Amino acid sequence: MNGFMGPDLAGTLATWVAALATIAVWSYLVGYRRLFVLSQHLLAGLATGYLVLLAIHDVLVPRLITPLIEHPRDHLLLLPALVLVGLLVGASWLPRRATAPVGAILVGGLAAFALGGAVVGTILPQIAAALPATAVASSDLAGEVISLAITTLVLLAFLHGAPRGALTVRAATVGRWLLIGGIGGWLGFLVVSRLSLLVDRLAFLLGDWLTVLR
Amino acid sequence: MTNSPAPPAASAEAVARLRRVAPALLLLVVLVVATLLQPGAGGLRLASPDRSHVDQLRRAIGDLPSEALVLIACDADLGTYAEIRAATRAAIEDLGAHGAQLAIVSFTPEGRAIAAAERDRIAHSGAEPPADLGFVAGAEAGLVRGVASIVPAAAEGPIFDAIRQRGGGIGAFDMVLIVSGSDISARSWVEQVGPRLPDLAMITIAPTFLDPELEPYLRSGQLDGLLATLREGTAYANAVTSGSPADRGPGIAPLPMLVGMLAALAALAEAASRRLTRRVRRLPRRRAS
Repeated sequence: MNGFMGPDLAGTLATWVAALATIAVWSYLVGYRRLFVLSQHLLAGLATGYLVLLAIHDVLVPRLITPLIEHPRDHLLLLPALVLVGLLVGASWLPRRATAPVGAILVGGLAAFALGGAVVGTILPQIAAALPATAVASSDLAGEVISLAITTLVLLAFLHGAPRGALTVRAATVGRWLLIGGIGGWLGFLVVSRLSLLVDRLAFLLGDWLTVLR
Repeated sequence: MTNSPAPPAASAEAVARLRRVAPALLLLVVLVVATLLQPGAGGLRLASPDRSHVDQLRRAIGDLPSEALVLIACDADLGTYAEIRAATRAAIEDLGAHGAQLAIVSFTPEGRAIAAAERDRIAHSGAEPPADLGFVAGAEAGLVRGVASIVPAAAEGPIFDAIRQRGGGIGAFDMVLIVSGSDISARSWVEQVGPRLPDLAMITIAPTFLDPELEPYLRSGQLDGLLATLREGTAYANAVTSGSPADRGPGIAPLPMLVGMLAALAALAEAASRRLTRRVRRLPRRRAS
């Protein structure tokens, strides 16, 4: 009942394939690793095929090849991109000196985007949001003091290598337990999250496939 | 002629194997029974009693102007989409009920697969699916490129024309609904698009594991709405469903969830008691030594 498979033949076939794949993955629970490994290979193969198709159909043809064929003069900047694609495709045959700059450009570009975004979009706005906006005392003063105390204690727990007195050691221990408590709470949410995925699969098998829930 | 008994080693191995798989099988059987019994457990509800996030998200959608352009950025993971499926569909329905003009785009391959499947599902149900802006490669770089231009050159239709008239980029939209995943989440949008388009309203639906990462953005006002736990998603889906007869399929059933959580607690208690027992056994030895 996930709503993706229709009642037609294609939908029925897809439901059966999905149900059998689910059971193949679950066979690992009872120690049948061959089916599980087979389903892993199936997933890897399908994912690779899908990615290749997506790259060709949604990226290379409409955004690179078609503009270059139809209006080459308007898209001169795509020519270097075509060279980069050629270098990436031939990476296994070409000398490392030719392909390394391409990888460096890709990794460097993405890292620059990520770092710049983290500073401008996260660090600075979050610091600004944490600072008191007015001189008037906040309505949730107790909450803010507790937050500050917890943050300080947890930060102390990460104080490694520096000389620490008895008080700092105790504070760091409290911070470590607070950290463990926080992670424990988050893991509890994660258990619920993963459990919901299992329950959803069961509902799929019983509802969509075996139709005993309808 | 008598049957010779099985070699003891083989039978011991079979018993050991059975003991290994028994907990998992037992849990599966119990969950199956709970799922089958679910229709009779009408009193159980999964929805969160804290409706602040739900109300905030509904308010953000309610504040949209008529015929607003809304972009659905579908970048969920295939593995965790089931957790946020009901809330995502409810949000699409909610936006449609408010007269929004919807377009959908993906920046991850997994998100593209989900977006295509959701468009097919909506089309099969007889409703108008969101306009398809396709897949944009490049992750964060693709997001930044989308600020300038997001409409495919060959796309034709009234929604595409409306986007082009407003500049053709993400800034043309009144709001973005970000269906978050591990690769591209609301964080990527806040970091890459937020500073470039500070007036763009952003709401997000995210799986639970992203909640600690995204909650600060909601508190700082960089996000206008966030649903990041199963309980919030269920509460939102219920709130939207109460005013609509559309069938999105049932959400996650509460009875098997309750049974599963009890099983998890039992496993924790069993592990803790085993550890405690081991410590208690060691105590006399330490005292003796």
